[in-house]
Amino acid sequence: MATIFKSFLNNDVAVTRTLLHEAIPLTGTIASGTYTADANIKNYAHGMFQSVYDYPYLSSSANHIFDVTVGFSANSNLSGTTHNSEAQQAKKINLYTQMAQILVGHDETGTVRDFDQDGDLSGGIKIKEAVFINFARLLGKDELKKGSFSATFLTGGTPGVRAPGNTNHTQPITINDSGAVNDYRVNSPAGEYGILYSATGSQVGLIYYQAGIVVLTGAVFGGDRKESGLGGGFGPPASGAYGPAINTSAAAYDISTNSSSYDAYMTGAAGSISGAADAVRNCLQSMAFNNTTELNSTIYFCRANHSEFNYSSNPSYLASSKLVVKNKTTDMPVSYITSVGLYSADNELLAVAKLSEPLKKTPTNELTLRVRLDY
Amino acid sequence: MAFLDNSGDIILDAVLTDTGRMRLARGDGSFKISKFAFADDEIDYGNYDKGHASGSAYYDLQILQTPVLEAFTNNTSSMKNKLLSISRTNLLYLPVLELNEVYDGSTTMHGDDYFLVAVDEDTQTQLQTDSIAGRIFGATPGSGAGYVRVDQGLDTSDISPSNLLDADLTETQYIVELDNRFASLIDTAGTQMASVSFIDDDQIASYYMSLGTDNLFVKNNEETATIGTQVISGPRGTYLQFSFQASIDLNSSTFLFTQLGSTVTYGSTSYYYLDSVVRVTGATTGYKIDIPVRFAKKV
Repeated sequence: MATIFKSFLNNDVAVTRTLLHEAIPLTGTIASGTYTADANIKNYAHGMFQSVYDYPYLSSSANHIFDVTVGFSANSNLSGTTHNSEAQQAKKINLYTQMAQILVGHDETGTVRDFDQDGDLSGGIKIKEAVFINFARLLGKDELKKGSFSATFLTGGTPGVRAPGNTNHTQPITINDSGAVNDYRVNSPAGEYGILYSATGSQVGLIYYQAGIVVLTGAVFGGDRKESGLGGGFGPPASGAYGPAINTSAAAYDISTNSSSYDAYMTGAAGSISGAADAVRNCLQSMAFNNTTELNSTIYFCRANHSEFNYSSNPSYLASSKLVVKNKTTDMPVSYITSVGLYSADNELLAVAKLSEPLKKTPTNELTLRVRLDY
Repeated sequence: MAFLDNSGDIILDAVLTDTGRMRLARGDGSFKISKFAFADDEIDYGNYDKGHASGSAYYDLQILQTPVLEAFTNNTSSMKNKLLSISRTNLLYLPVLELNEVYDGSTTMHGDDYFLVAVDEDTQTQLQTDSIAGRIFGATPGSGAGYVRVDQGLDTSDISPSNLLDADLTETQYIVELDNRFASLIDTAGTQMASVSFIDDDQIASYYMSLGTDNLFVKNNEETATIGTQVISGPRGTYLQFSFQASIDLNSSTFLFTQLGSTVTYGSTSYYYLDSVVRVTGATTGYKIDIPVRFAKKV
């Protein structure tokens, strides 16, 4: 009996899971400075966050890279009545609360927890003022790879849009999640997260791997602006202006003229969310991480035994019904495989695979083609 | 589609077809891969040089250098020419499918090599009045107009038709693929519609018709003489015959004609027309033929 299909047996199908990683290097020039008038930065009418693209966002070629926003807890000093006339106070509280309820969750009374410096929710120092960097799924894929994140911020000098020749930004500080491969937390409703450290070992934020979100304490951006007891921090530069420009108003970031306001970066007339996001972007020198794609694969082993698939229904295979590859009956038939089709029981073609070059099939050889479908 | 890089290791480029994705999205369990087939769509066996002066190692040199295209996701564009499994290795002849235009005057195509399917009665009447060849009545099938007949067997004069075709080479099931927007299959007498097995995402309907089950469509060819009504010169297997029932869309509207077709004049009468192809494949032997069909509607 001539046949064109062969059914899979149980041992012809295998299911596997593979983690695929890609290195994602982001230069600070993408975040600021590549395009005039920040054409790759999208601000919204609601002003609650800012989106960074790799190309002017009005172009269909633009890819969304990450969002930046800031917020503070209802428990922060910034949420008090002293600051209720400051820019977007309510929205900053709302943003912090939204992120906290997703990433940290609620306590036993149903109250949203604050971000915790070391992940021990039972006490310790809380991150009450935070900068959030939310990576687009396009880059982050299924999750960020543990231990692969690093970011360098320029924390000194005079703030402003970084441009060639502008050497005002100094004091590069690198933060990373070193050691997170073997040291991460699982007490978040949003999955696993790690602690971000400065080069001096200070805990300066959290990174949520599955959510693809980095939470940086506001203290990162100024030595006097850290929460009491946070310790370490980046601190002020050895000399010159303090910074950087979380608030683009010089008076606000310069502690020498604004020493009473450790939280100035999130308040003041210029302390809007988009203003703070501008400053964060302009401080970014580089950022890198590896993403992770979880590939669930089904592998189909298509086995051609010696007596199978040696003839073809190709019209060029016959001339007046005679096989063109044979002169006499004792010649071995031969065929060439270029495609593998995977079919349903009712003969519908569900998947197709192509070989990069024809494979010769004769009664003297057997082939096993391994077709992997990723989901 | 580009060619696959064939400069290094052999790679396999696999994709889900549009139908596969549709079934996956449906989530009803209809996406279940249960069998496979091999194909050689890019291969031209005319390049197999059995007489190469340098010996048998060079017979298939050109074939093995054939560049292969990336996979198409359109399910109807791939796996055209499937490989066959036949345990015997001593076969020198394989059966083919051939359109039989000589069986009687009803199985002849139009002179421009297509069957002309009238989609309404006005068109039928006009084509008959003008004696246009190759006409099939799609509005009232079976009313004495044409039909399609496909014969199977060894088309070689080396073997007498009085010999029986080997049982393992006799086609017992045919697959007919037809654009479901245009017509359905019906038997030549116009009495029984064929059952559609499935309609894919491109509106291509597949009909499976088997010997012994669909007796009005598939029959044994018992003619063993060399006579003028046969197109298979050697041993004969079965034959398939069918006609078309035009769709309501074509019967009652010109929308598809104006969108997909144009106008043409037969005799002195103008008609809307659209061209399509009906594919007949032997389910056992994998051999297939494409039959051009023109659907016509009087303007």
